[in-house]
Amino acid sequence: MLIYILRRLALMVFVLWGVTLAAFLISHALPADPAAAALGNNAREEQLQEFRVKNGLDRPLAVQYGVYMGKLLQGDLGTSLRTQNSITADLKQFFPATLELTLGAVVFAVLIGLPLGILAALQHGKALDLLARIFALLGGATPVYWLAILALNIFHERLGWLPGPGRIDAYSLAPPVHTGLVTMDAILARDPQVLVDSLRHLILPGLVLGAFSAALLTRMTRSALLEVLSQDYIRTARAKGLKQNRVIWRHALKNAALPLLTVFGSLFGSLLTGAVLTETIFSWPGIGSYATTSAISLDFPAVMGVTLVAGLAYSVVNLLVDLAYATFDPRISFS
Amino acid sequence: MHRTTHRLRSTLALALALSLPLAAAQSGRESTLVLGGDFSDLITLDPGVSYEFTGSLLAGNLYDTLVAYEGNNLTTLRPRLASSWKVAPTATGSRITFTLRDAKFSTGRPVTAADVVYSLNRVISLKTPSSFLLTDVANIKIGSVTAPDAKTLVMDIPKTANPNIVLALLTFNVGGVIDSAEAKSHEQNGDFGTAWLKDHSAGSGPFALNRWDRSAQVALDINPNAFRKSPNIKRVILRYMQESAVQQSALNSGEIDVAWDYTPDAFNAALKNSKLKALKTGTFQLQYLGMNSGKGAAFEDARVRQAVRYATDQDGIIKSLLQGLGRKTQTIIPIGLAGSNSALPYTYNVAKAKELMAAAGKSGGFSVDFSIPTGSCAGGVPCQDLAAKVQSDLAKIGIKANIKQMVSADLYTMYRAQKAELILAPWSPDYADADGNGTPLADFNAKSLAWRNVWQNDQASKLAQAAAIETDATKRVALYKQLTELVAKDGPYAILYQPYKPVVTSVNVVGFDRNANGDVRFEKVSKK
Repeated sequence: MLIYILRRLALMVFVLWGVTLAAFLISHALPADPAAAALGNNAREEQLQEFRVKNGLDRPLAVQYGVYMGKLLQGDLGTSLRTQNSITADLKQFFPATLELTLGAVVFAVLIGLPLGILAALQHGKALDLLARIFALLGGATPVYWLAILALNIFHERLGWLPGPGRIDAYSLAPPVHTGLVTMDAILARDPQVLVDSLRHLILPGLVLGAFSAALLTRMTRSALLEVLSQDYIRTARAKGLKQNRVIWRHALKNAALPLLTVFGSLFGSLLTGAVLTETIFSWPGIGSYATTSAISLDFPAVMGVTLVAGLAYSVVNLLVDLAYATFDPRISFS
Repeated sequence: MHRTTHRLRSTLALALALSLPLAAAQSGRESTLVLGGDFSDLITLDPGVSYEFTGSLLAGNLYDTLVAYEGNNLTTLRPRLASSWKVAPTATGSRITFTLRDAKFSTGRPVTAADVVYSLNRVISLKTPSSFLLTDVANIKIGSVTAPDAKTLVMDIPKTANPNIVLALLTFNVGGVIDSAEAKSHEQNGDFGTAWLKDHSAGSGPFALNRWDRSAQVALDINPNAFRKSPNIKRVILRYMQESAVQQSALNSGEIDVAWDYTPDAFNAALKNSKLKALKTGTFQLQYLGMNSGKGAAFEDARVRQAVRYATDQDGIIKSLLQGLGRKTQTIIPIGLAGSNSALPYTYNVAKAKELMAAAGKSGGFSVDFSIPTGSCAGGVPCQDLAAKVQSDLAKIGIKANIKQMVSADLYTMYRAQKAELILAPWSPDYADADGNGTPLADFNAKSLAWRNVWQNDQASKLAQAAAIETDATKRVALYKQLTELVAKDGPYAILYQPYKPVVTSVNVVGFDRNANGDVRFEKVSKK
């Protein structure tokens, strides 16, 4: 097991190195001048040149990559061209917001997708099954930006049930930053009002971002469970007189869990990186909006930082999913 | 495990119970002003470094400058930290002597002339994006500014600089006065406190920074020591909201008081809404077409450039695309600055334009690349729509403009390399003075817009240089009249419009005003 993990971690380093190289080459292949992007329309030639020298942009590409990798090995992701901040510090600030949103979306996706999929499988061919299938189809096909604007308009503007954009009420100040997760910080600051406020602010963007995943989970749960339910051992279990609940939870779901776990893993990864539109519409200060602003202003080091973190998050989640396989299915061992 | 769950549950129950008397906690709303807008250009709050719109907006409320423009009068300087000043000629140029008023920083320390010297020298030493205003435009260096006593400041400028321009640029962030003791106490590796001042404040303005959560919000709190006291608003919050649609929904639901970036469509809907106030605020921006006038280029012949100006339907653009949110102007100094020229020598006249094309030997027309930026142009119009309108106008005189849309960074890289044939671009002056447009747009040697469009006109260069250093106001205006007429006739630009910036506030917001410089004095605002 330990050897397996070490091997996977070594492989991960290799994958991430590939990510940096690809991101570096792609971003530097653009025929554009980051100095001009950072200093704007009115900047003069001397200023541009000074900027290029200061940020090492005047050096050959291979040297630039070497410098970048050298710093990276020391844990330094470089300096943002646009803000002149340390990118490590930037990511530390923006990542928690995305993580919080993603966790919210995962919770909603699981809370909706799993029960709906189970119910649909149990009520196979009945009205509820049809409804679940319609939901799975719509949820998978609805563009997230449209859903976001619709949700804001209905639940925030018209009905006034839920708060609008942002992580907390516009009139209140966020609690002091410890973890970067406003909900956690509110608990640490013993500020229940902000805690409730931040949880309420998570509902709409979480639902919107989670809708696609919820739809996918519904579909996958339904089909995985349907397949398992038709197996002989389920019939045997029922024949033994086991209660429905026990059959579903102990026998069926456990066996349906593996494909679900795979889906779940890739969902989490795509949620983490795919929050760009949701973050923009809900004015959510996460790495999605950070990546967009950085990309528009040709802030290569920042874009590479985001790419690296996204790659890392994706790899880690995948590893965890693979390890979880063994827990669910004792036949799988990593020796 | 169970205990934790139980504790969590009781915390949640407590939280819900406590959330009920929310209304009571909201009494602070009358004294809090919330703006929603796209503030993503904010990079630093350090007045010596900030150069972007949001940075300037905040610098004006966190810091004081020696002199300032007040409200929409951007031609008369008013006292701010300096209670008076006088300009006297010297053997080498001129000397401006300022007398400082009694003022205190938010830290409680008094504002002294030594703080002003430190603040200006700091900008020069740091070589910030705005340092060139002091070093290249004002032509001052370390040692040019001295403090004979705590209340007197002396600034010596050489003959090559115009004291009026120097005073004008001192109203900008670059002239913001910092508490030098505070900055020095936060210095790291000789950075003059820049890293700290990025997200802290140490000024004497009506507000002090509470904190800046990047990409989320900036919160300012009242500065109790300020002489520009804010009687009603105690806290100002800038909320990042990029989308106009999101701002609309937030303003309608009372979540924000002021929406900073409305589209023309949304603005016109707001005009009809009795719960909102829609303000057309001025700007010094110009949206223009740049025509490459170099040897062998499509627009080399001045008559072709004139034809483009006759063929451009400015009224149509302002009426249909901007929905009235722009002013018609055809000369290079924006309306509102001393030296601007209100003449409109070009009427929309396709027949006349065709005549000029024929006279230049181009009656058959020609085809050019028309480079345009992605996103919104000045006044919030999608650049694509504006370009399509220009394209159809030019097609009427045989010019086939092939639209090439690029991200701004790419566009300007090409423009700087003198490689744009026809370009759609905005320009705004770096400081509220005619020279902010006169030199870059008319003087080829300044290597700015005239250079990028390969338009070399020695007379224009001479006029721009003379006007820059002319200290007699009447003579200066006369020089700019000559210069603007010359550029309107021969220059490489077709000015499309000078936009308004639409700002929408809730009807209970009183005293909110944004001037063409982009300044808002939050201390003058109140809520009913």
